[in-house]
Amino acid sequence: MLAILALGCGTAQAAWPEDKPIKFIIPFGPGGFDAYARTLAPALENILGAVVVPENVPGAGGRIGANTVYRARPDGYTIGLWNMPGMTMPAIVGERVRYDLSKLSWIAQLSFDAYALAVKAGSPIRTFEDLCNLGRPATFSGQGGFTETASIATVIMMAELGCPYKIVTGYQSSGQSTLAVMRGDVDARVNPLGSLMPYVESGDVRLLMTYEEQASVDGVPTIVELGHPEYVNFGLRRVVAGPPGLPEHIRDRLSAALLEAMQSARLQEWSEKTNNPFAPLDSEQTVRAMQDVIRFYEQYGELLRTEFKGNR
Amino acid sequence: MDFGLVSGALTELIGSGHAHYIFFGVLVGLTFGVVPGLGGTTALALLIPVTYTMDPVGAMYLAGGSMGATSFGGSMTAILLNTPGTPPNAATTFDGYPLTLQGKAGMAIGASATASAMGGLIGLISLLVVIPLARSIIYLFGPPEFFLLTILCLIAIAVATMGKLLRGLIAAGFGLLVAFVGMDTVSGELRYAGELDYLWDGVPLVPVLTGMFAISQMLHLALKGGSIVSAAHRKTKLSGVLGGMRAVFRHWTHLLRGSAIGTVIGAIPGLGGVVASFFAYSSAVQTSRDPETFGKGNIIGVIAPESANNAKDGASLLPAVAFGIPGSAESALLLSILILHGIEPGPSILVESQREIYGLILAITFSAVGASIVGLLSARWLMLITHVKVQVLVPVVITVTLTAVYVLEGKFGDVIVCGIMGVVGYLMIRFDYPRLTFIIALVLGTTMEQAFHQSMTISDGDMVSYVVGRPTAVVLVVLIVLTLLFPAYRSYRSLAKSSA
Repeated sequence: MLAILALGCGTAQAAWPEDKPIKFIIPFGPGGFDAYARTLAPALENILGAVVVPENVPGAGGRIGANTVYRARPDGYTIGLWNMPGMTMPAIVGERVRYDLSKLSWIAQLSFDAYALAVKAGSPIRTFEDLCNLGRPATFSGQGGFTETASIATVIMMAELGCPYKIVTGYQSSGQSTLAVMRGDVDARVNPLGSLMPYVESGDVRLLMTYEEQASVDGVPTIVELGHPEYVNFGLRRVVAGPPGLPEHIRDRLSAALLEAMQSARLQEWSEKTNNPFAPLDSEQTVRAMQDVIRFYEQYGELLRTEFKGNR
Repeated sequence: MDFGLVSGALTELIGSGHAHYIFFGVLVGLTFGVVPGLGGTTALALLIPVTYTMDPVGAMYLAGGSMGATSFGGSMTAILLNTPGTPPNAATTFDGYPLTLQGKAGMAIGASATASAMGGLIGLISLLVVIPLARSIIYLFGPPEFFLLTILCLIAIAVATMGKLLRGLIAAGFGLLVAFVGMDTVSGELRYAGELDYLWDGVPLVPVLTGMFAISQMLHLALKGGSIVSAAHRKTKLSGVLGGMRAVFRHWTHLLRGSAIGTVIGAIPGLGGVVASFFAYSSAVQTSRDPETFGKGNIIGVIAPESANNAKDGASLLPAVAFGIPGSAESALLLSILILHGIEPGPSILVESQREIYGLILAITFSAVGASIVGLLSARWLMLITHVKVQVLVPVVITVTLTAVYVLEGKFGDVIVCGIMGVVGYLMIRFDYPRLTFIIALVLGTTMEQAFHQSMTISDGDMVSYVVGRPTAVVLVVLIVLTLLFPAYRSYRSLAKSSA
């Protein structure tokens, strides 16, 4: 009798993560973030023995998805992907946000894509110096509004180095903004190196520089070599985090499972084939890395606020 | 044009043993097409997890199969219930539904099926012709061209609302107002969103369209009572279907023009199926010798939009095929299926993923034909829905539609928007304001505004000299002027004739 009761209780309150599916919120539609989450989900299921359901909650540059994760109950059944430093921006430029990045439960970093600066293949602009001295503002294509991650990198660098610039915003995706460079709408675009490389190889665009610490592309200088090591932080990070107050044991198991999944042969092969590199960090490392990222961009708060006003 | 690749893809399709994936896709696509609120994008999004275990080519068969079938599925609801199953079918209601009221639903379905299948085939051929030129074509269209294209579409539609120009303009102005709600994609500032997160990305298109056409029509029916087709007109025979099929070949010029319009508009990111089919419809009206027969059951009013509708599917792949950069919501989903299967779409996608891309193109084409055959075979029974009493029909359609709108994004706000737009749409029917110009303005508003801002920023505010320096833009300006002058030219001609 007791045994039956115990069994009944056991099934009624199975321990995390077995009694219901884990929602993995993707704050964007199809694209890079979507691909990472959907590729990781089946691997996570295997490792955790749970059901993981990727769910796209797009809108407002990722903020609707961010709000959804932030407001969820911290029971380990809702986790989400975060665009860093994209999600730091609204608060920095004084827009209304409903999440506090310092309170999030950071679980793991998945990737870090260093940015690169690209121009059209046949362009007379051959160096960053050329771009800065056109005798007119250099034009850049931007996706959505000014607070897009790549546009922020552009704004900080151009404004600090005193180069005249103009951002043509409103392109629908980062692909469309690369296309804008190829078509000649604008002079240049900052985008993740990995997503630009196929267009470099096909002879459509040329890189002026990368924001890497160590050069990985032959003949293309890094920002360090050009004398501005302070901009090495420019890049796009994909980070998994849960709502504030996620219990430590759940956070650690999720973190371990994500790291294990990224090491698996299947995902390594996927990463290699699709040019989507991993840069795994466990939860403690992620917390530190995120503090650095937030601090780095906050120091440009004043500059960004002034520049955005000028652009509007 | 490389027919070798197509025959290669065909051989693979037969040899793969996966041809049934296309058939499954067709069934999914037809179902999602028939239900108002659900559409091609939803079908693809829901199919993504199903493809996990398939090989990439099989996944493309399934996806293409559903993509090619939705628009025909949607035309059946448009014809029988005056409720477009998918947004691009809205134009089909104008003449399809009057045909149903006259007891000629079979004819309309026959015409829609044939026009869809032929449109799909013509779309395939034009896509194959255009693929080698894809890059140069896409380079021709920058921000000023996008802006001028949206103007051209708006003008063409306004001209087509003959006799109701002022009411049409009022409805279009209302559409633009609704289009500008939400975050301005140029400056990132919020407009008219109040305290609602829901409105940050603007008023969502599908719930608005669904409310405007499906819910409003159901309200209209409920207040009218009876059943859609009165007892007097119930002698629908299958011969009507054959008559409709023949009509498509008799009006082959409209078939070709509809397909051509579908191909061109489909290839341009941001315009899409709704604009393509409305544009095809309004050009059929404008060039017709007796434009007053439209809206009263002219079969050409079914042929033109339905051929455009299917021809656009192939063309919408163009930016994706040329650069690995999606130009529409559907192709973004298709590319994300490829990424999941370990294929990174890029500028050399056509070389590196030849099998997948040509498999997809074939699947879309076969699906357009297959869906039409399934539709023709079931036309006789589907027509019976118009005999159902509205007391039974209306609650069922409203429930299914609102559920579908909710399923789309899982947002309750969408259901509310759909309901509000249903009432607005009903009032527009009641007071005779064209819903068409409202919808087109809503669809084009964002692209129009963005492209205008971009052109102004790039040209430092000197748009005129920017446009003059771009041949494509100049051609578009000429087309705009011609479209504006066309009605004047025609009334001059008829005046000259009557005085002679």
